[in-house]
Amino acid sequence: MARISGIDLPRNKQIGIALTYIRGLGRTSAAKICETAGIAPDTKTDVLADGEVVRLREIIEREYKVEGDLRRETTQNIKMLMDIGCYRGLRHRRGLPVRGQRTHTNARTRKGPAKTVAGRKSATTKK
Amino acid sequence: MSRSLKKGPYVAPSLQKKVTRSIESGSKQVIRTWSRRSMITPEFVGMTFHVHNGKLFVPVFVTENMVGHRFGEFSPTRKFTGHVGGKRIRTT
Repeated sequence: MARISGIDLPRNKQIGIALTYIRGLGRTSAAKICETAGIAPDTKTDVLADGEVVRLREIIEREYKVEGDLRRETTQNIKMLMDIGCYRGLRHRRGLPVRGQRTHTNARTRKGPAKTVAGRKSATTKK
Repeated sequence: MSRSLKKGPYVAPSLQKKVTRSIESGSKQVIRTWSRRSMITPEFVGMTFHVHNGKLFVPVFVTENMVGHRFGEFSPTRKFTGHVGGKRIRTT
């Protein structure tokens, strides 16, 4: 069982894919890690020797920010934006899209489920 | 290296002049500016600016974290006072 950065890697996937189960690693970084570790990215996780797992773990710890650390960094960055009172921070505070998207319609990911406004006639047919 | 990095930060000449003068004289006078597109450089840290938002001047005290942002980001141009009949959320 290969356990890296607090995540159990799926057993019967190729390591190049299995590494992407770690938050912060995608296909590209996974491939790079395999290359530096000298492991073929199409080896199944099950087949890896203990030494190889250790090597992978070391590389990830040394060169990548993953999982909790990454999450912390992201929230810190958002908090910094809110603290300095810049436009992006204000948008984060109000839970609206940050990058200039329209809010007349859509933007439901940021705004959450639609709240119907009382007293508005046929709001559904209007738009 | 992106092209914008190669070109270096932009600070409006008029604003730069005011800043250098203020640093030389050491005065704590607030600097008024319309140049919302100017980037905040490290030498601005600790100064207060009045940044125009199209209607009035919004006081912006520059801290270290603000370096690299632009003045306009700190001086909102829109004012949302809530929807008719909706819950009154006060904003400035």
